[in-house]
Amino acid sequence: MEASTIQSLCKNLISFSIQRCRISEDLCRLSVVLKRIPDYDPPLVIISFSDTGVGSCLEEFRNLKCPRNSVSDENFDGVLSITTTSTCDCEIFHYHLNLKETVALRKLTRLPSTPKNGAKFSGTEVSLSTCESVDELIAGITCFLQKILILKVPKVAIELVVERANGRGSGYENLLLSNEGILLTLPMSNVERLTSGLEDYVLKHGNMFDQQCSSCFLSREHLKVGSGVECSTESTRSTGQVVEAVIIISRLPEPSSPSCFRACSARTEVLYFEDFTPCSIPQSSLDGLTSIDWKSYGLDLRTSVLDGNDCAMLEWENLPPHTHIDIVIHCYPQQKNQGYKHLVKKAIKVALDSLKQRYKGTLLSAHAIKICSYAPDLARTITGLILSSNDTEFQKECCSLLGMQPHVIGVEKKVEDCITEKIVAIIETNDKKGQRHRESAPLLFDGEYIHEPEFQDEYEGEDGYSILDL
Amino acid sequence: MEGRDSSSKPCDLLKKIRDFTGSLLVDLCRGRSPSISLDRYRNYCTDPSGKCCCSSDLNKGKEILSLQREGHVYRLDVLLRVLLIVQQLLQESKHGSKRDIYYMHPSIFSEQAVVDRAINDICILLKCSRHNLNVVSVGKGLVMGWLRFFEERRKFDCIKSPCTVHQVPVHVEEVTGIMSIAEYILVVEKEAVFQRLADDGFCRTNRCIIITGKGYPDVSTRRFLRLLTENLCLPVYCLVDCDPYGFDILTTYCFGSMQMAYDAKFMRVTEMRWVGVFPSDSKKYCLPEQCLLPLTAEDKRKAEGLLRRCYLQQKPQWRLELEMMLQGGVKFEIEALSVSSISFLSDIYIPSKIQGQLYI
Repeated sequence: MEASTIQSLCKNLISFSIQRCRISEDLCRLSVVLKRIPDYDPPLVIISFSDTGVGSCLEEFRNLKCPRNSVSDENFDGVLSITTTSTCDCEIFHYHLNLKETVALRKLTRLPSTPKNGAKFSGTEVSLSTCESVDELIAGITCFLQKILILKVPKVAIELVVERANGRGSGYENLLLSNEGILLTLPMSNVERLTSGLEDYVLKHGNMFDQQCSSCFLSREHLKVGSGVECSTESTRSTGQVVEAVIIISRLPEPSSPSCFRACSARTEVLYFEDFTPCSIPQSSLDGLTSIDWKSYGLDLRTSVLDGNDCAMLEWENLPPHTHIDIVIHCYPQQKNQGYKHLVKKAIKVALDSLKQRYKGTLLSAHAIKICSYAPDLARTITGLILSSNDTEFQKECCSLLGMQPHVIGVEKKVEDCITEKIVAIIETNDKKGQRHRESAPLLFDGEYIHEPEFQDEYEGEDGYSILDL
Repeated sequence: MEGRDSSSKPCDLLKKIRDFTGSLLVDLCRGRSPSISLDRYRNYCTDPSGKCCCSSDLNKGKEILSLQREGHVYRLDVLLRVLLIVQQLLQESKHGSKRDIYYMHPSIFSEQAVVDRAINDICILLKCSRHNLNVVSVGKGLVMGWLRFFEERRKFDCIKSPCTVHQVPVHVEEVTGIMSIAEYILVVEKEAVFQRLADDGFCRTNRCIIITGKGYPDVSTRRFLRLLTENLCLPVYCLVDCDPYGFDILTTYCFGSMQMAYDAKFMRVTEMRWVGVFPSDSKKYCLPEQCLLPLTAEDKRKAEGLLRRCYLQQKPQWRLELEMMLQGGVKFEIEALSVSSISFLSDIYIPSKIQGQLYI
């Protein structure tokens, strides 16, 4: 496990805490506290990661490596102070883990333990000190925790506290406090939590706000939400793999403030999690994403690029104005060798299909949109055939078929609208069904061409006659 | 005249249109994707085994228009627009031309052929002929000779002046009282030849009726010719250019066109005899070299296509002549026969062919 920067090291330590909390059967808390010591030059920051999850057997720290770059070398002494105890332990264990030590046996130093005096509790605290900019550290950790909140990890509350000491004493600033993992008391599946988490994430503009942005979203109804879960089957080599995907399409009236601009960008940052940890997207999963036939959902994927943090950014062409797409993918357990390509592809497709199913007119294929463009014309002509007929009985029959009151039949626009709606509904249904069959079953006859090759002779000859045959 | 049965009357067609609209609406209201089934017709194929059923006049499969393909939806859009116009024509007992229909939505229809196909589709759908829809053509065909008939109440008395040229009537189904003392009917491909025969007073010296469709014949000309042959039981001869297009026009009169194959049985004249001009005529009448043009690649492709048509098995001699044309590699026009004398066609060629039974 390579931690190239202090930021990455912090992310790893947070992930370890989350895992320990998940294993615990009790309610847990994860606190990340940054304490600034201004008396040092440069000022020192002590960061502690404490959780009330199960005690650590130090296994997870075994592969942790020291951040390796010139800045980190200067700013970090490489030592992690670890304090941990399990419920069944009688004492609290203290260690020093020197990440800069190259000899494995000398890395870990066990310090004197503290007796628990019969108390039953578990927990771990890891702390380190660094001279790096506190603001940058806060920004990085906040962003990471905001992503973790999307998972709504069951029974885990998360807080981020900054303690600033100055001449007048010390002050606490609670930057982030989330207990939604605890508040969601109803039994919910992971994907339901993920869905709820992504909804909050979107409504709070990437969890930047404490509450949903009231100027953009009056209610959750502005969101179109679809989710999909795919599990590896027993026939495949490794079983038990799960991929969950949630897609949210949000459409806003108009961005009201600069902080809301993200909400209507044509770019989508794919939020990717493996084993309950936000991480960069591996190539196989990215391949799974890009191999989807987005056009069959009316989406035109222009580019997919990895940004500096290996996050996949999808850029859409022709997205309607003020529309944004959010995608989150969660794969677990962690896969060392095989990727999640096919499961990611399938889960995303299930999510897209569920969106299509739930929201009328959403994600129609480019093909269906084209066909829909004929609906008003078809409806107008059918209305014409009904209303211009001189058979009033026929008109009454049509009126009752359409479920309209007899006096409405004279209102051309109403009849037209009613028929248009029915045609569009059928095209949408066809599109849903066609998704599966389109590639495999071409229609028996192709009606696209008026000059069919087999009749070419004939039409060539009779073209002249056709035009002149007035 | 043989024709569609009584269910092609305007009131019956209007009912069929209402039924069609009604069934479309039922599908839409029940959330079923409508599928419009159109019988497919063809009057020939290229099956060399001779085991085809092209001559049966039955439909050869079906074409299903649905909302699943854009091409189908466009075709349905056009079909419905034309059907609406047809419903209005029938309700108001008015007639409209194909061109009139085209100009009602030119940007949607984009070309006349699109309207033509929609009209054909509607004829197939309603099991009727084009004229039943009150869709007419101005008619470009010409007629002269020993013939008299009425169109509605108008009398066409060609007998008084057999060399006067008349337009072929547009409302062929309104033609009554056909009377003739002609011995045969001569169909000529080209207006120029028709005019030459008129100028030469051919009909004064020969008891015949002459018709031209000015190239590929329109529906009125073919229906009128069919009406005459049914009523008068006269032999019909056809004179076309010695090139693949002339031959194709000959087959159109004789077997109908693929485009309107669904209605071919009401328009074709299978007993037609080909009187000329044959490839062998160039030697027989010593046509000079400059009158003979080499067949182009396009001509050859067309001729080869014609040779593959199954219906030519009924006319082995026609096939033979066409093969000779391909082998000889040259073509020539009817007018080439006038090289020695301007009235050679009227004075010698046609009379000798008919009297000598040199037709096939």
